[in-house]
Amino acid sequence: MKFDLDAVHVEGECADSALATRVLRALPRDVPVTHLPDARGATKPVSGARDPFGAGKRRLVIARRKTPFLIPCPAGSSKFACCGYLVLTLASNCPMDCSYCFLQEYLADNPSFQVYANYTDSFDELDRLADNARGRSFRVGTGELADSLAFDSLTAISRDLINFFAARENLTLELKTKTDEIGNLLAMDPRGRVLVSWTLSPDAVYRSSEHLTASPAARIAAARAVLDAGYRVAFHFDPLIAYPDAERDYLLLIDDLLDNVPPKQISFISMGGLRMTPRLRGAARSRFPGDPMLCGEDVLASDGRFRTFTPLRLSLYRTLAERFRKVGAEIPAYLCMEPASVHEHVFGAAPSRPATIGERLARG
Amino acid sequence: MNADEIDAQIRAIAAERRLPPSHLERWLAMDQPSRAAMLEIANTLRLRTGQLVAALDTLEEIAVREHVTVAAVLDHPEIRRISRRSGSAPSRASALLEQLRALRYPLLKEMQDDLRAEVSALNLPRGISLDLPKELGSDELTVSLRVRSGAELAHLLEALDRKRAGLTRIVEMLGGKREKNEI
Repeated sequence: MKFDLDAVHVEGECADSALATRVLRALPRDVPVTHLPDARGATKPVSGARDPFGAGKRRLVIARRKTPFLIPCPAGSSKFACCGYLVLTLASNCPMDCSYCFLQEYLADNPSFQVYANYTDSFDELDRLADNARGRSFRVGTGELADSLAFDSLTAISRDLINFFAARENLTLELKTKTDEIGNLLAMDPRGRVLVSWTLSPDAVYRSSEHLTASPAARIAAARAVLDAGYRVAFHFDPLIAYPDAERDYLLLIDDLLDNVPPKQISFISMGGLRMTPRLRGAARSRFPGDPMLCGEDVLASDGRFRTFTPLRLSLYRTLAERFRKVGAEIPAYLCMEPASVHEHVFGAAPSRPATIGERLARG
Repeated sequence: MNADEIDAQIRAIAAERRLPPSHLERWLAMDQPSRAAMLEIANTLRLRTGQLVAALDTLEEIAVREHVTVAAVLDHPEIRRISRRSGSAPSRASALLEQLRALRYPLLKEMQDDLRAEVSALNLPRGISLDLPKELGSDELTVSLRVRSGAELAHLLEALDRKRAGLTRIVEMLGGKREKNEI
């Protein structure tokens, strides 16, 4: 995908790293590159910018990550029935600009687009995880604080990741994306250990809210291509947005998907209604005041987030789940950031424990 | 009134009501017919600060959702009726906000009306109350019993048991089940 970068900052000790070398080689010549002894200051909001978060997206910082790479999913909570997802943070922020993105709040204080030069250190953490829990399987994703593939044409991190995971029996890598940046993937053999997942939204949401992303049709075509190249695929209907005609549009989207990807070859689907803390809602509406997708029939729910009022949200979940059920492929499915009672309403059964769900999704 | 006069009056009303600067800025950023229509209704209904803030927020959201101007929203027949009808300014101001909310949340209002009708149709005896979740922000139905004796308790439990189907239906409606769930 096309990057609009205003500047690149490289932390001193990373200057000779393989990542910095690759990125600087791939950058357009007119992007100024600065070397800094400590890049922490460069990750902060650009002072005086009208849109500091947007400006942060155009400032690439190559730095050393000093905290663990592997963390439990930050969206997890005892209030919700979770999926046991583990997050591997190799980058922070994203060159795309979805109006509803939670990073607008989560990274408000350090919005620069960071990529960690010492990312291979994360492999030690992953090996420790696998060694300490032999016999268990884990699903590990890089698409929580960044899109997994949006920057892959610059960094080529996916190649090292795929090589690593392809050799680990009980670890499954999930690359989550809204792009069609699959060039590096097609040149690799994932040996069944890598899952590529796409967030899918109808065209109306894509056009209104998902700026600089690949179109839904391009995402589905990319999914078909990686499936043919030996990858597993999954799809996230998240955020599910309850705009007028949403039901019709989501069903058409599912039809398009199933026309291209056989249901039996879908590893899982997830759904999650649009949810926004008051701070995120304020930030999103301020950055995208004309986006009707941010003005749904949302009310303040008991978890302190604005969500589409419950019967409407659950009705949409039910409709999508029913459509997938009708194709008869028993595609594993889960809901993101919803309590167990909502799972029961939608799927007719209580959810399993997060670790159990995590294992099931990892094994496929 | 020309545009400058409208803006001067908006600034005056904002100063008088101590309207937050961000709201004044958004009001002044509207197209001229919308600025004027908002000014007219603020004056006619003598909107207080909180009402003005709520009206501006809701109107903007409706306008974005419906792809129309604020003036077009304020030209809605029901809102014109509230603006022109007799009655005290405060009661009309409340009616305006209620109507704006109905326009902003049409499906929520419809669902709340349906659920209230279901609750009412149960015709539960005194001592049993059903509370729907606030703004349907969860799937939780609260059923309360108020009793002072074992006999009263037995009576209410029997009543609840008789209404089991209707109560289950309400819980299922909260859980997103519709009459016709066919796609």
